[in-house]
Amino acid sequence: MTREQIRKTEGFIALTLSTLAAFMGLFWLVFILGDVLVHGIKALKLSLFLNDPAPPGVEGGGLRNAFVGQLLITVCATLIGVPVGVLGGTFLAEYARGRGIARIISILSDIMVSVPSIVIGTFIYAVLVRPIGHFSGWAGAVALSIIMIPVVLRTTEDMLSLVPWTLREAAFALGAPYYKVITQVVYRGAATGILTGILLSIARVAGETAPLLFTSFNNSFFSLDMKQPVASLTVTIFQYAMGPYDNWHAQAWAAAFVITVFILLLTITGRLIIRWRYK
Amino acid sequence: MKMFLKLAMALALVFSFAHAEAAELLNGAGATFPYPVYSAWAFDYNKVTGAQLNYQSIGSGGGIRQITERTVDFGASDAPLTPEQLGKDRLLQFPAVMGGVVPVVTIPGVKAGELKLDSNAVCNIYLGELKYWDDNTIKSLNPKVNLPHSEINVVHRSDGSGTTAIFTNYLSGVCPAWKNKVGAGTSVKWPVGIGGKGNEGVANYTKRTPNSIGYVEFAYAEQNKLAYTLLKNPAGNFVEPNFKTFEDAAATANFDPKKHFDLWLVNAPGKHAWPIAGATFILLAKEKTDSNKKVVKFFDWAFKNGDKKAKELVYVPLPKSLKDKIRAYWKANGI
Amino acid sequence: MPRTAKKNPVDNIFSLVTAAASFSVIILIIGILYVLLSESSLAIGKFGIWKFLSSTDWDPVKESFGALTNVYGTAFTTLLSLVIAIPVAIGIAIFVTEISPNFLKGPIGAAIELLAAIPSIIYGMWGLFTLSPIMSNHIEPFLKKIFGSVPLVGILFQGTPMGIDILTASVILSIMIIPFTASISRDSFNLTPSVVKESAYAIGATKWEVVKNVVIPYSKLGVFGGIVLSLGRALGETMAVAFVLGNNHRITTSLFDAAATITVTLANEFTEADTDIYLSSLFYLALVLFVMSFITLAIAKFFLLRAEKKYSR
Repeated sequence: MTREQIRKTEGFIALTLSTLAAFMGLFWLVFILGDVLVHGIKALKLSLFLNDPAPPGVEGGGLRNAFVGQLLITVCATLIGVPVGVLGGTFLAEYARGRGIARIISILSDIMVSVPSIVIGTFIYAVLVRPIGHFSGWAGAVALSIIMIPVVLRTTEDMLSLVPWTLREAAFALGAPYYKVITQVVYRGAATGILTGILLSIARVAGETAPLLFTSFNNSFFSLDMKQPVASLTVTIFQYAMGPYDNWHAQAWAAAFVITVFILLLTITGRLIIRWRYK
Repeated sequence: MKMFLKLAMALALVFSFAHAEAAELLNGAGATFPYPVYSAWAFDYNKVTGAQLNYQSIGSGGGIRQITERTVDFGASDAPLTPEQLGKDRLLQFPAVMGGVVPVVTIPGVKAGELKLDSNAVCNIYLGELKYWDDNTIKSLNPKVNLPHSEINVVHRSDGSGTTAIFTNYLSGVCPAWKNKVGAGTSVKWPVGIGGKGNEGVANYTKRTPNSIGYVEFAYAEQNKLAYTLLKNPAGNFVEPNFKTFEDAAATANFDPKKHFDLWLVNAPGKHAWPIAGATFILLAKEKTDSNKKVVKFFDWAFKNGDKKAKELVYVPLPKSLKDKIRAYWKANGI
Repeated sequence: MPRTAKKNPVDNIFSLVTAAASFSVIILIIGILYVLLSESSLAIGKFGIWKFLSSTDWDPVKESFGALTNVYGTAFTTLLSLVIAIPVAIGIAIFVTEISPNFLKGPIGAAIELLAAIPSIIYGMWGLFTLSPIMSNHIEPFLKKIFGSVPLVGILFQGTPMGIDILTASVILSIMIIPFTASISRDSFNLTPSVVKESAYAIGATKWEVVKNVVIPYSKLGVFGGIVLSLGRALGETMAVAFVLGNNHRITTSLFDAAATITVTLANEFTEADTDIYLSSLFYLALVLFVMSFITLAIAKFFLLRAEKKYSR
């Protein structure tokens, strides 16, 4: 073979491998999603949403408590995490813009985004479960909000930085104090971006299991009391999938289906908003 | 932003009302061994009284830990605590139901009750000394069974577990090598094998892995249609795990309220006694009198109305004399 | 605060509130460190630092605990998953930036992002029900047949393929981290100035040569940062591996053996530790994990920042 041919063959092989890799990525997605879809839809029944769990061996149980509990914990986590994150991001992008401290906090947040969530679970167990004396929905919500804060904080910072500085100057020129400029001008300009960040952060925490294991624990009954253990879909999936009963497995698939669809919808919505607004 | 605040306020309002309506809830955690029967009782109790008893099977070690930390209203453990331990952590203890731990196997072609094992074989399998199913030790016990030349896949518990405590107590009692090398406890340093979480996890792994052996509470073996083995008991008979053999083991038990019922049921001398039987215990925090009263009310109800359900799920209800002893124990401790 | 703004009492309060909110991140990090340290002080006092990290003991009966089996399991599964994930991820990035026709770029990019959004518990469950039987029935016996008797490499393929082992866990981990590595690599590749690429084409380089000699060298900082970031992610992953790792506190050499990672040990044993020293040792493990992943992520951030600086020049 001539050098020319060797170069061409090498290039051909390398590019073919890359193409294969890309389709492998697609393959896994289709495989996993397809599996969840097929098994999930098979097990999807109305009773799943209307009934509470029955003990092993009794037919007709559902996961109403877990659906509601998951929603409750996620909403509460959002209520804690979003204000703190948005305000924190505001500080970095506005009051502390360009200062060293803003940079440090921004880097630390990036690291916090990827800190193992199970460590946060142990932390909350030590500060909110043991001292208070029982597992509680609030402990789970706080654990999730800790994961949420850095995500929201960083997107808010980025989005606020994208708002042109001249916009603020125009408002200053009218004599508006800075807080008014931020809340009425800058937030408005960055609203869609921040909203996307919030959506994506909800998608991130809604599927978390590890931080809930030792905080919100689990509850086999329907409960809205956040001061008590609250069932969550993810912990229930862990328990049911590891369990030996076939109807538990089916319910775990159904729950997995619902939570996956929910999270993917959130993610896709978030991405579409970004596409539509920033491209 | 304002929209968001309004939404937050509205939701906070909803929650504050939700609190007021919450039903009476008791939280318990611990042993996975009695989980099916406790949750079945709780299900029925809820229908009758409306009270909710949330029992989570997290393992006996967890039950002991969480009641010691006072994060639950009651703990459950298959391993009885000694009176000293109970005194130190200010706990009360009483048995609730009895059952047995059974070795289960998944070997192609071997059906439930076909395989016979003795304590020596079980011990050496779990020590990792016996590696193949067609080893002579096992073959000589089972001349008629067609055993494959495959490696034995050992399954054990990964979490702190009373089932493990009962099982390792049994092994320590019959096998000096086990006692020296590993010992007995709710979780031990396993010489071989993979660990599943909970009785459910072990049942699941055993079911899914060919040529495996695991140990689970009998009800789990039954419900999952796992192939249990026969065991040679101290009286020298091969016995099958069932009500009769469990009851035979329980018959020799003498629970003493003064020792907070601290007693193991393994290697019972009865002629037809199943060698790995055990009671499962409830732990209460001494000072939590309010919730203790509610927990005891539940078990009192279960003692009166739950025997049939327990039997359905292959648990051995406590004999009447023992129930009376327990009621007296409650009274003596001011519950 | 910019000079243009007037002092205003409400403004002062608002700035203080936002400052407090952003400092919560620092407070949380210090708080987590402090709590983990104080909770594990009992175990630190009993086992020390070096002895804890180098001991393979995990014996609740004798109350002797060491982190080595867990750290080993974490390192083994993480590195193996990187070995599987990196070539695939870079291949994806090359495909999306250089090869793919325009109409495919969007869908494949989106698919990769969706893969990243699937919660880890779904991966774990799918691993237990779907992947593990495939591994134990088909892939692992096949690997064993081919490599089992090869000297040296054969050590990795001993024992009975059960599908609940290091290999299955690593495959699932690798599927999870491919999206991170791929999307960061793609973004880095995209930053290569087209002038540089075009001049390479102009002197007759093939597409692959452009990728190999221009794009990859140009973006290696960013790609490396992406890989370290994925490493950090994989270190802390819990649920995806908890289902299929088998919780085995021993140092093993075969890919077909069960193992334990720090995260899986925590998930399995945390609510169940009955003695104080047991619980304290688990907190100690959590501390080790926190420090390990913090350092890894800080390194990743360092490289990504340097890459950013380089490209923005």
